[in-house]
Amino acid sequence: MKKLVGIVGTNARHSYNRQLLTFMQRHFQDQAEIEILELTDVPLFNESTDGSDSPVIQNFNQKITAADGVIIATPEHNHSLPSALKSILEWLSFKLHPLDGKPVMIVGASYSVQGSSRAQLHLRQVLDAPGVNASVMPGSEFLLGRAQAAFDEQGNLKVSGTVDFLDSCFAKFLKFVDVIGELNVPDAISYQPGTYAVHATGHNGEIPMSVTLSKDRIENIQIDTSTETAGISDVAFERIPKAIIDGQTLAVDAISGASMTSHGVIDGVATAVKEAGANPDDLKKRRGGTTAAQPEAPVQTLDTDVVIVGAGGAGLTAAAKVLQSGQRALVLEKFPSVGGNTVRAGGPMNAADPDWQNQFAAIPGEKHTLKALAELDPQTIDPEYRADFETLRGQINDYLNQTTGQPGYLFDSKLLHRIQTYLGGKRTDLNGHKIYGQYDLVKELTDHALDSVKWLESIGVQFDQSQVTMPVGAIWRRGHKPMGDLGFAYIKALQPYVESHGGTIMTETAVQRLTTADGRITGLIAEGPAHQRIEVTAKAVILASGGFAANVKMLQKYNTYWTAIDDDIQTTNSPAMTGDGIELGTRVGADLVGMGFSQMMPVSDPDTGELFTGLQVPPQNYVMVNQQGKRFVNEYGSRDELTQAAIDNGSLFYLIADDEIKKTAYNTSQEKIDQQVAAGTLFRANTLADLAKQIKVDPAVLTATIKAYNSYVDAGEDPEFHKNAFDLKVQVAPFYATPRKPATHHTMGGLKIDTGAHVLNAGGQVINGLYAAGEVAGGIHAGNRLGGNSLADIFTFGRIAAASAVADECAVETE
Amino acid sequence: MMKLVGIVGTNATQSTNRQLLQYMQRHFADQAGLEICEIVDLPAFNEPEQHVAPAAVQTLSDAISAADGVIFATPEYDHSIPAALKSAIEWLSYTTRPLINKPVMIVGASNGSLGTSRAQAHLRQILEAPELKALVMPNVEYLLGHSLQAFDANGDLVDADKRHELDQAFNEFVAFVGLTEKLTPTETFFEQSRQFSWSQITNGEDL
Repeated sequence: MKKLVGIVGTNARHSYNRQLLTFMQRHFQDQAEIEILELTDVPLFNESTDGSDSPVIQNFNQKITAADGVIIATPEHNHSLPSALKSILEWLSFKLHPLDGKPVMIVGASYSVQGSSRAQLHLRQVLDAPGVNASVMPGSEFLLGRAQAAFDEQGNLKVSGTVDFLDSCFAKFLKFVDVIGELNVPDAISYQPGTYAVHATGHNGEIPMSVTLSKDRIENIQIDTSTETAGISDVAFERIPKAIIDGQTLAVDAISGASMTSHGVIDGVATAVKEAGANPDDLKKRRGGTTAAQPEAPVQTLDTDVVIVGAGGAGLTAAAKVLQSGQRALVLEKFPSVGGNTVRAGGPMNAADPDWQNQFAAIPGEKHTLKALAELDPQTIDPEYRADFETLRGQINDYLNQTTGQPGYLFDSKLLHRIQTYLGGKRTDLNGHKIYGQYDLVKELTDHALDSVKWLESIGVQFDQSQVTMPVGAIWRRGHKPMGDLGFAYIKALQPYVESHGGTIMTETAVQRLTTADGRITGLIAEGPAHQRIEVTAKAVILASGGFAANVKMLQKYNTYWTAIDDDIQTTNSPAMTGDGIELGTRVGADLVGMGFSQMMPVSDPDTGELFTGLQVPPQNYVMVNQQGKRFVNEYGSRDELTQAAIDNGSLFYLIADDEIKKTAYNTSQEKIDQQVAAGTLFRANTLADLAKQIKVDPAVLTATIKAYNSYVDAGEDPEFHKNAFDLKVQVAPFYATPRKPATHHTMGGLKIDTGAHVLNAGGQVINGLYAAGEVAGGIHAGNRLGGNSLADIFTFGRIAAASAVADECAVETE
Repeated sequence: MMKLVGIVGTNATQSTNRQLLQYMQRHFADQAGLEICEIVDLPAFNEPEQHVAPAAVQTLSDAISAADGVIFATPEYDHSIPAALKSAIEWLSYTTRPLINKPVMIVGASNGSLGTSRAQAHLRQILEAPELKALVMPNVEYLLGHSLQAFDANGDLVDADKRHELDQAFNEFVAFVGLTEKLTPTETFFEQSRQFSWSQITNGEDL
C-alpha cells in the first residue's frame, strides 16, 4: 500500500483543512496510508539562522523522503498560501530538498465559495520553483468552499457529489504517483572510461586534478595540491574525494572552513563526468543518505587530566607538554581540521639567539636602527621597562664601540627583543587611552622564546639554520624559519607527536560552556560531530582557541582604535577565529584586557581577505590610489598608517602597476594574472585612461596622479605624501589595478592572564583550573603585534599553560 | 515633506533589499522622509483567538498608519514572497489593518536575473485581498536583478540605467500618493473593511 504524507497547511488551532485531511485519511484507508503532519512547531524560516538540522524540520524531511507522495491541504490567507505553509516549504528548499521530484496533490478548504482557489494557484507556482521542484499533479483541482457547512458531526463530507469528486481526484493521484515514480528512476550512468584532466578551484587559484572513471564508477580522484597553502584545505582534499567515491555521488556536504575548496573539487569532478558523456545532475541527485539526520546520539562522558580548547599551535603545544609530564590530554577542535591560524602563518618565529645570529653579517641600516634606539630619551620609556632599557643601551654601545669602522655582525639580545616588543606595541586609541605590553608577560615571552625553539626542535620541527629572517612587520632579523610548508611545519610535527604519545584530538567538537563547582573549573560541555552532547571532566582547562579576527560584530563591539570597521570586512584568518574562548572565559568571570586594539592587513583582497591575489609588489613599487583615482598616503608607511588612510578613503583602494612593476610581484604567475583578469578581480588595460574606466574613476584624474607620481620618482622626492623610497615609474603598458581593502589580521586583546597563564577574574584573582595561551589571551602585544611574535607567543605560553596546569592540579597524582 | 515607510521584506541578516531601501532613503532624502522598518522581530503569525496585535506588530502598524505611503522591498523565495513577509502581512490583516487605502509601491532585489518578478506579482495579488485593500500603484514595477553586484562600496546603485529607472518609478509614486489623497472613500468603506472577516461570510456572500 502506498505511504503518503498529508500536510495541514496552517498552524491555526481550528482548521477545516485539518478536518479535510483527517476525513481523507479515514476515507481512503484501504487505498493508502496517510500520515498527517502539523506545522504547529515549525519556526519561521530564516536564512541567517539555519534550522535544517532541528528535529522538527528533520521530521518533515525524513517523512517526506520516505513517502510515496504528499498531499498539501491549504487554506487561503490574503489571496495566498499561509506564511506557516510557505515557511516549511522554504525550509524544505534551502539546505534540504525532500520534495524534489516528489508527487504532490493540492487540496484546500475555505470559508468562502472560493475554496482557496487563489492560494492553490500560488502554491502550485511555489512548488514549481527550482529549489522545491515538486511534481504537482495537474488538473483535478479540489476546492472545498464554505467549509464550515461541509462536514457532518462525524467529520464526514455531507454532499455525496463532493465525495465522488474527491474519490476521482485521489484515484488519479495514486496513478500519478506511479507515473512520477517511473520518471524518477535514474538513468543508468555510464562513462566513457578514462582519466580526465580537469581543474578544481582552490584557495590560491586553480588546482590541477585528474579523475579516473571506469564504465560505471568514479574510481579515483587525484589532486595536485602543490600550489595550495599547506594545512588550510587539506581536509577538503581528503574527505570530498573520498565521499564522492564512497557514495558514487556528487551530493556531498562541503567541509566547514573549506567550503570554497570543497565546491571546487565537486565542480571539478562534475566537469570530468560531463566530459565522459554522463550527466552530472544525475550524480547530484544521488543523495547517498547524507542529508538524513543522524539518530539522536547518547551523551558521551569523558574524563581526562587536562582538556584543551583549540587544536592550533598553542593548543597542540600545551597538549604535547601535558603528555610529557605524564598526564592525560584531550584536545577539542570545532573545525574538521587541526592547525587553526598557525597553518596560515608565514613560518618564522621570533627568538633572540645571539650565538646563532652573531654568525651573520649586519646589513646596512641595522646599526643606524640600534644607534637611534640607544639615543632615545629614557624618560619616554615607561618606568617598568626603564632599567631594562638602560642595560640594553649599554649592550648596544659596547657592540657599536666593538665594531666601529667595520660592517659588524648581526646583534641581538633578549633585552632588544623585549624593548622592541614593548615599543612596537605602544599605541593610543581614539579615546586617548594609552596601552603597551604588560612588563611581566613581555619578559616571560622574550626570556623563553628561545627555549620554545629548542623544545620544538626536540619534538621534531626542523629549522633552517642557514638564514635568519625578518617576518613582515617584525622590525628585526630574529626569525627562526622552519623547513618547508610555512606555518604548517609546526602542526605537521605537533599533531603526530600528540597522537603518538597517548593524546586524543577530537575535531568537529565545539565547546559550549565550561563547568564549575565550588569556585573552580571542573571541565566542559561540548557538541560532537553528530550533534551529540559531550561532557568532559578534567582537572584543568586550557583555552587555546585563538582570537576574534573572523568575528566582525565582536571587533566592532570592542573597537576603540580604528575610526570604522566595515560590516563586510574580510579577514586573513581562518573562519574559526570567532572569539569562542573569550566568550567561554568571560562567562565564568574572566577579566579582559586591551580588547579595543586589533591589527589589520591593509593590502588584502576585498572579497576574500587573501593576501596572495592580484599583484603584490615590494612597497617601494606600491602606487596606491583611492576610488577617485588620487593617491592618499605614503605607500611606505606602517601597516596602521596604510589601514587608517584606507578606512578614511572608503576602504577600497587600488594598487597601480605597469608591466615593469608587475615583474617585481612575488606572488603570482602570468597564468594566474590572466585568470584573475578574466574573472574581473584584477584589471588590465593598454592605457591609463582605459584602466581608469575599468575601475570607474575619472581618466583625467588617474592620468594626472600617475604623471605626478612619475615626476616624484624622477626628483627622488614626494612633496605630497613624502614616500620614503621609490623604485620604478608607472609607464610601460599594459597597466594593472589590483583592488585592495584592509582585512582583519590579529586581535591583541583577550583574557587577562598572569605569567603562569592562569586566567584572572576582575578582582585579579586566579580562576582555579582555568588557563589561556595564544591569541585568546591579551596583555602582551598591546596595541600592535610584531610580525613573528605570535608564533613565539603560542609556543611559549602554550608550554607555560601546560606546566602550570600540571603543577597546580595534577601534582598529587604524580607524587 | 512626504512621510513614507519602507518595509524590508525579509528576516535575513544580509539583504540587498535592505540595501535598496537604504539607498532610496538617502537618494530621495529631499523628496520624502523614508523610515525603514524591519520585520525580523515580529513573531510568526499563528491566528490567536483575540485579534490583538503583539507589541512589535503594533509598532509596525503605527508607523504605517502615520505614513503617507508604504514601499515594500521583497526578495523572492520559491517564486513567491518570503514566509517572513507573508507572516507580517497576515498580522496586519488579522489585527489592525493599517494598509487599507494606503498607497503602496513594490520594489524587489534578487541575485538572479529576474529580480523578484514573480514575488512582486504575488505581493500585488495579496495586497488586493479584502482584508488588506491597499492601493498598489499600477503599471510600475522596479525589479533589481543581480543585486549582489548592484551596489558599490558606498551603497549606491552602480548602474546608471537602474538609477534612472528608480528615480522615475519613485517620482511616479510621489505623484500617485498625491493622487490617492483625492480619492476619499466613504467612512463606511473603511468601517466595512476593518470589520471584514472570512469567517463572517457564512451565507457564502462574497464581498
